[in-house]
Amino acid sequence: MKFRTILTIIGVVIGTSSIIVMVSIGNGAQKSITDELSGIGSVTTLQVYQDLSSMGMTSMGGGKTDDKAILNDDAIKDLKKIDGVVAVTPVVNLSGGEIEVDREQYGVSLMGVDYAVLEDMRYVTTSGKKPGANDENSVILGKDVLTSFTYTGASTQLTESEVKPEDLIGQNITMTIKRTNANGEEEMKTQKLKVTGVLESTGGNEDYSIIADYNLVTELNEWQTGKKANVKKQGYSQALVTVEDSAVVNAVTTEVEAMQFTVFSMQQILDSMGSVFQMLQILLGGIGGVALLVACIGIVNTMTMSIYERTKEIGIMKVIGASISDIRNMFIAESTMIGLIGGLVGIVISLVLSLLINFIAGFFIGGEGGVTISFITPGLVIFALVFSALVGLLSGVRPAIKAANLSSLDAIRSE
Amino acid sequence: MHKDFKLGKEDINILKGINLDIEQGEMVALLGPSGSGKSTFLNVLGGLVPPTSGNIMIRDYRISEMTENELCLFRREHLGFIFQSYNLISTMTAMENVALALTFAGVKKEIRKERAIEALEVVGLVDRMGHKPSELSGGQQQRVSIARALVNHPEIILADEPTGNLDSKTSADIMEMIYRLNREENQTFVIVTHDPDTTKYCTKVIHMQDGLIESEVSQ
Repeated sequence: MKFRTILTIIGVVIGTSSIIVMVSIGNGAQKSITDELSGIGSVTTLQVYQDLSSMGMTSMGGGKTDDKAILNDDAIKDLKKIDGVVAVTPVVNLSGGEIEVDREQYGVSLMGVDYAVLEDMRYVTTSGKKPGANDENSVILGKDVLTSFTYTGASTQLTESEVKPEDLIGQNITMTIKRTNANGEEEMKTQKLKVTGVLESTGGNEDYSIIADYNLVTELNEWQTGKKANVKKQGYSQALVTVEDSAVVNAVTTEVEAMQFTVFSMQQILDSMGSVFQMLQILLGGIGGVALLVACIGIVNTMTMSIYERTKEIGIMKVIGASISDIRNMFIAESTMIGLIGGLVGIVISLVLSLLINFIAGFFIGGEGGVTISFITPGLVIFALVFSALVGLLSGVRPAIKAANLSSLDAIRSE
Repeated sequence: MHKDFKLGKEDINILKGINLDIEQGEMVALLGPSGSGKSTFLNVLGGLVPPTSGNIMIRDYRISEMTENELCLFRREHLGFIFQSYNLISTMTAMENVALALTFAGVKKEIRKERAIEALEVVGLVDRMGHKPSELSGGQQQRVSIARALVNHPEIILADEPTGNLDSKTSADIMEMIYRLNREENQTFVIVTHDPDTTKYCTKVIHMQDGLIESEVSQ
């Protein structure tokens, strides 16, 4: 093989590998973030809030929310009627609780959900079991509920408790909540809770909460604030809607939004992330594409040079019976081979580079199970191969036509 | 076989009106000084350049009206070329050079090799088939190019000064070979030459001068 041809192939190799590596970095970023996000909460759970503007109206206008949608029990029933919805529960939160385990104090918050639909919601317990519909005082612990903030000198640190949530299964724990009464005195109330299970990590609020029945949480809330909750008028702050599968998420979201509620789902985030990453990949691929464009010019140059050098050869072939298409195909095949070989070598090099990038990044970032900075999909490999061959083919077209149209007599006379 | 050549006037008037019939199996020598138009005439005959006006008929084919692609196909099947400078492809071996003509005709690889060896046998170069042109003498290179012209079994072989670059001894060998082929295979040869020695093998000698046929002698 000619040195010139080898240099041209190297050009294609650089072009192809820069596209692959660039896009693989975009892929890697997308993969690590989507993996992270998919871990947070189930993709089949929608969080429904009262329309944010109506909430604002409530606090400012003193309850003038006549034409605004209120997330009350009627609304919960309506949500339940939407096709594809499996379970709907209001969410009532209580914060400022304290529990004592093994002479350690832990600040906890309660997340009250409807125990009647707990079975239908996709909460999975890693150990223990879920409370039944009537176990009002039974709770499930979030995975990280005993991870407490402790003060060591000036800094706040997250420390792992010696006690695992699993150790508490079957035990009763006592939770204390406080309030300040009208006279400025502090009052305390204790509540016994029976732990029946530990929830698998959802990546959301549940991990740091105690899941309890919403009736209990409402009761405790009323004691803490000293006010009776008017659910009918003010509604719940949040509801969780569990749907059949991820395919219906978007349809349900649209319907819930039509009811003038604000919906938040992991699907929405993944969707918008998807388009951001597509942009990123096009951008990165474009940068790599510049290198391939230069390589493409290199192929045209090499093929044109080759024609000048082989003019006589072309002339001979035409005289002994090569047709125009024979000559044209010969040159196009040659330039396609340059593209293809360059693409293949480029793929091998970028696979090595990708491993190397991840390996080196692993050193600096650390983490278990390796780091994915660069991620090469089979689709990317196939695309790169087809694209490089196509670049070779297209680069060869003009020189090939030029070669095929040489006058055989002039060509054979040239030296 | 009947051939009609009626060439009209060109702008530079290289060929100024030539009318010639060549029968199948004839061996025609085209003689004349440089610039007499004998090479141009041969090229027009082979369809390498179109005539400005007039007709070239080879059997029933009207060469002068064929498109470039039709000419390629025609050359592939009916014509063989031999050049003064051999025009072999330097990167290929003798065998590959001979087989190349068959490649374009779409002949299978094994058959190509078989027939290339056959053609090299005719010119007595089978033992050199693995050599590149640079490893062969001028006479051997010319014999390879003759083998290449023969490999398609064309009816007509056009030779442009086939002995022009060779010494007289080798020239005689080459001409003997051409003569033998002409006899045995009944192939028609048109040979451009300015070496009067070569004409003794020919059945017809045509002298050209200033783009016109000066004399036409059958012998």
